Amino acid sequence: MKRIVYLFILTLCLTLAFLDHDSNGVAYNPLFHSHDDQTSGASQSISMPCGLGGSENHKH
Amino acid sequence: MSAITKKIDLTVLGYAVLAILLFSFLFISQVGNRHLYVFLIGIGLGVSLYHASFGFTGGWRNFIEHRESSSLRAQIIMLGLAVILFSFFIGSNSWIYHSKMIGAIAPVSVSVVVGSFMFGLAMQLAGGCGSGTLFTASSGNGKMAITLVFFMIGSLVGTYHFDFWKSLPSFGGVSLMTEFGKVNSVLLQLSVLILLYYFIYKSDQKRNVNFKHTDIFDFSNFDLFKGPWPLILGAVLLVFFNVLMLQAAGHPWGITFAFGLWAAKIVQFVGFEVSSWSFWQLSYPSTALENSLFADPTTVSNLGIIFGALAASALAGNFFKASLINKKILIAAILGGFFMGYGARLSFGCNVGALFSGIASGSLHGWVWFLFAFIGSFIGVRFRRVFYS
Repeated sequence: MKRIVYLFILTLCLTLAFLDHDSNGVAYNPLFHSHDDQTSGASQSISMPCGLGGSENHKH
Repeated sequence: MSAITKKIDLTVLGYAVLAILLFSFLFISQVGNRHLYVFLIGIGLGVSLYHASFGFTGGWRNFIEHRESSSLRAQIIMLGLAVILFSFFIGSNSWIYHSKMIGAIAPVSVSVVVGSFMFGLAMQLAGGCGSGTLFTASSGNGKMAITLVFFMIGSLVGTYHFDFWKSLPSFGGVSLMTEFGKVNSVLLQLSVLILLYYFIYKSDQKRNVNFKHTDIFDFSNFDLFKGPWPLILGAVLLVFFNVLMLQAAGHPWGITFAFGLWAAKIVQFVGFEVSSWSFWQLSYPSTALENSLFADPTTVSNLGIIFGALAASALAGNFFKASLINKKILIAAILGGFFMGYGARLSFGCNVGALFSGIASGSLHGWVWFLFAFIGSFIGVRFRRVFYS
């Protein structure tokens, strides 16, 4: 019984994600990180650790 | 031996397979092929994490308390392999899309020192790190599910305080590959890893008479579908999937950005506005907040990990093993989860995004994270005794 409750809660969370998908959609897709700085070869200076997401945000 | 005789949980396995098919269809039809690849890689990570029981928390604690080093040695081998392989790919074009792949380079700053220390301490209270919390919660561990909820809350609070932590002194991002060149960077990092391996190997050998150097290579109980898998297989597969993640997503594997995003989405859902916070006005977080969760690759890989761990636990017949939760352990799970989330925001990631992917990318912040998280864990194992005695 407990495992069914556990799966039910997981399903509830996934339903919320589906609702979010329905209301927001994927307007900007893909949400991958573009490498704009092709010329300088400074690919190491931009990055995406999971803390911040976007690459250009690390210029601080 | 008992693990081998356990029955496969067909209900849970069926749920996991159905969910995997449903989400695979969703990603192909509504999001994109790269998201499908990221999802499939996530499933591989979830199965590997579960079957190899690959976690940082217990391994660090075993070494701190007993000098038992098997897990820590596997982690160092994993880092060494990743450092070598990533050096071939960072900055070059992906096999999957036509652009360059980027490393996980984050600033070396006061916030990283404080955040990683906090994370290391908190993960010992909670009994799981970023990846550990996700895959154990997914395999039916109720305590870790509570930890995950507070991990999300802590992440969100961390984004609220983002301005303050950003204002503290920082050296900016330091890439060892840029500073010393790829070859020297790899040699330097491998030298440090070999020294570390030698130190912990000797410490273990000195303390434990039954020490066996080959323990992490032990395939004697290996079962592909039911597990367990030896630590070395887990280490190799995590590197393999992280390289694939780099190829598919364009950046290395990360976990905790999504936790903050999920919490932000939930509070927005109930009417609380977070989009005005400076963190959520940065280009990537603001885009992630405005779009479907399924557009965010970190969320997509986390979903893969959830279903991968779910399927693996069902195959092993170990889904939802009731764990002892008393008031003290509940407090430890809440505090541990909250401060891991908060610490991960301060330190630009967790044991995966900052330590594993950071070091693999040649980022100095990964090493700073490793050092201060370990110091935090050293203190954390003592705090832990208050809650788990």
